[in-house]
Order: sequence, then structure tokens, then C-alpha cells
Amino acid sequence: MPCPKTQHILQEYFADDLESLAKEKIESHLLVCEHCSNELESLLLTQNTLTQWKNERTPHWNRGMELFRREHQAPISGFSLWHRLQWAPTVTCFAMMLVLLLNVNFISSQEGFSVSFGSTSDDSSVIAERLVAFQEEQRLAMDALAERVEDRQVSNNIELLQTVLDQNQQTTAENLNRIYVFFEQQRLRDLEDMRIGYQDLVDNDYETIRSLQQLAQFVSYQSPER
Amino acid sequence: MSLTDEDEALIAAALNGSPLAWEKLVRRYESKIYNHGLRLMGSSSDAMDLMQEVFLGVYRNLHHFRGDAKFSSWIFRIAHNKAIDMNRRKRLMTTQTRTSDQEELDFLDLIPGETNIEPDNMVSEQQQNKRVISMLSKLPLEQRLVVELKMFQSQTFEEIANLQDISVNTAKTRFYTALKKLKVVSEKVHALP
Repeated sequence: MPCPKTQHILQEYFADDLESLAKEKIESHLLVCEHCSNELESLLLTQNTLTQWKNERTPHWNRGMELFRREHQAPISGFSLWHRLQWAPTVTCFAMMLVLLLNVNFISSQEGFSVSFGSTSDDSSVIAERLVAFQEEQRLAMDALAERVEDRQVSNNIELLQTVLDQNQQTTAENLNRIYVFFEQQRLRDLEDMRIGYQDLVDNDYETIRSLQQLAQFVSYQSPER
Repeated sequence: MSLTDEDEALIAAALNGSPLAWEKLVRRYESKIYNHGLRLMGSSSDAMDLMQEVFLGVYRNLHHFRGDAKFSSWIFRIAHNKAIDMNRRKRLMTTQTRTSDQEELDFLDLIPGETNIEPDNMVSEQQQNKRVISMLSKLPLEQRLVVELKMFQSQTFEEIANLQDISVNTAKTRFYTALKKLKVVSEKVHALP
């Protein structure tokens, strides 16, 4: 026979920390109520079926190691020789730039080596003279070059003009030929037209004479009848 | 050194960039999370997906772990939330209703006689697990989660209530209702000729 307390009793039975009084109450009810005890037994059996679960082995996977390694690149320990050497080209370039900018002179003589920065006034006058001479040389070279360019330009122009004239002459001769042929053809065509015209005229005249003859015959034939 | 201390040491090392510590930490929990996923999601591929999502979540939030709670509780809280998300996604993607034919097939999987005649223990265990999965799959997710947390993770109703944001009484009722439903499913299986 169903018991109205079953849900409450069994729900509390599975509670975590039952007070001893409540526990006694539930156990005493279960002793006397067959429905509740049967229900509990079947629920415990079901629970037992579930607890027979055996942990399965996890399939192989990379455990996020790639992501971890990518995002946690190990920091570079110390400052190794290789990492120092990486700066060598930059440092060399910088040093060369300084040498150029400061106009550093290394002079070696019998007395030893000397390093000087910047340039002397003698150097500047020599440079100025050389610059003037260089400019003069450049001017002369430029003039010669301009003259050569002009000469070449003139000869090119003459050649071009000659070629154009030749072409023009040739074209004119061709055109005149073409006109002559055209006039000749036109003259022949006109002559032919005239011949056909005369022929037509002669044919017409002949037809007219025949018609007049027929008319005359007709008239002469009609007259004796009257 | 206790398990909790070991976990904390591994977390600290992993946060400092030690791949070995991270691997060890994952190895400690992967089996638990995978089996947890297997019972909740019902298939190996879904369990793998869930496990990967859980560990990705752990990895992304490891620096937020303050050690107020046990790492095991924290990771299972993540797993719980991920399982709910994944279930929601799956429900949206697949058809809602199942045909009666599919139901019958599931019951056929549950026939206990077939497992008893299996000579290989491993196969028998797999059949046993298959039966548990099939039984659990008959429950709605919220009840399945309560059964999982209570029976397999040995959590108290208070902890379950906190996790699911429900009252302790609701958690108890869900557990009892789930057990009753599982009992009916189990009886149906045994009643099959």
C-alpha cells in the first residue's frame, strides 16, 4: 500500500548530515513501512548499478602543451656571446658614421700615430682650388658635349628631311600614276557609253522608219477601198 | 605534502612558465574530467571536447585561482559550467525529439545478459559503463548533474546547491527524482525478454 511519507522519508534518507533524532525516526518508519523500505531497496540497487562505473582511460591528446609552450616562451638567460655579437654590425656602422661625420684623420709617421678631428685650413684651400679646376674641366666637357649633340642633331635633321622628301616624291608619283590610270579608264568607259548611245539612236531611227513604212502601206491599202 | 599543496605548487610553477608542471597538473585531473564528461555528455568525442574546453578554461583563468577553494572543486565548477554550455549548443544543433526506434535501440544496449557472457573484463567494464551512460542519458541535464556531483564527485547537497544556484531542498528533490527515474529505466531494461 502506498505511503504518503515515502518522498519525504527517502529524500531525507539520502541527506548528508542527518541529526540522530531524525535518523532514528526515518529508520523506525522504514522498519514498519513495507512500501518505503521496498522503495529504498530498489533505489539503493539503482545507486549500486551506477557506482559500478569503471574509469575509462583518457584518449591521447596533447594536453595543451603547444599552447602552453607558445605562450610561455622561456626567457633568455644571461647575455650570451651570440647575443652580444648580434649588435656588432650596428656598432660598426655607428662607429664608421662617427668617423665620417667628425672627419677623423689617422696619420702614421716615424714619430708614431696621431689622430685628428676635422680638417685644416690648407686642406680647405687645396680643396677650393681643386674644386675650381674641376668646375672648369666640367664646363669645358659640357661645352664639347653640347657641340657634339648639336652637330648630331643637325645631321639627324637633314637625314630626316631627306627621307621625308624621298617619301613625298614617291607618294606623289604613285598618286599621279593612279590619276592617269583612272582618267584612262574613265575615257574608255565614256567611249563605250557613247557607242551604245549611238547604237540605241540608230535602232530607234530604224524602228521609226519601219513604223512610217507600215503606216504608209496601211494608208495606201485603205485608199482604194474607199 | 598533501594533494592540495601539491596542486598549489604545480599551479605556481605552471604560472611561472613551467611546461612540466602544467603537464603534471593536467595529468592529475584529465581522467577525472574525461570520465565526468563521458557520464554527462554520453560519448567519447563529446567528453574529449568537454575536457579540452575545461583545460583551456583552466589555462586561461589559472592566474585568477586564489586558492580559497580546493583546485579540484574549482576545476569541477568549470567542468560543470562547460557541460551546461555544451549541452545547450548540442541541443540547438541537433533535433529536439528522438524517434521511438532510437529509444528501443538504447534499451537493447542496456540488456545485462550480454555483458555477463563477455569473457574479456575490459569489454565487460565498457558494457557496464555503456549501461550507466544510457541510464543517465534518460535524465534531464540538471538531474544528471546532481547525480554526477552527488554520487561520483561525492559533493554535499549544500555544495551542489551553491554550484547550481538552487536551494538545498531543491537539490535533494532533484536527486531523489533522478534516482526514481533511473530505477524505472533500470526496471524496464530488466523487464525486456
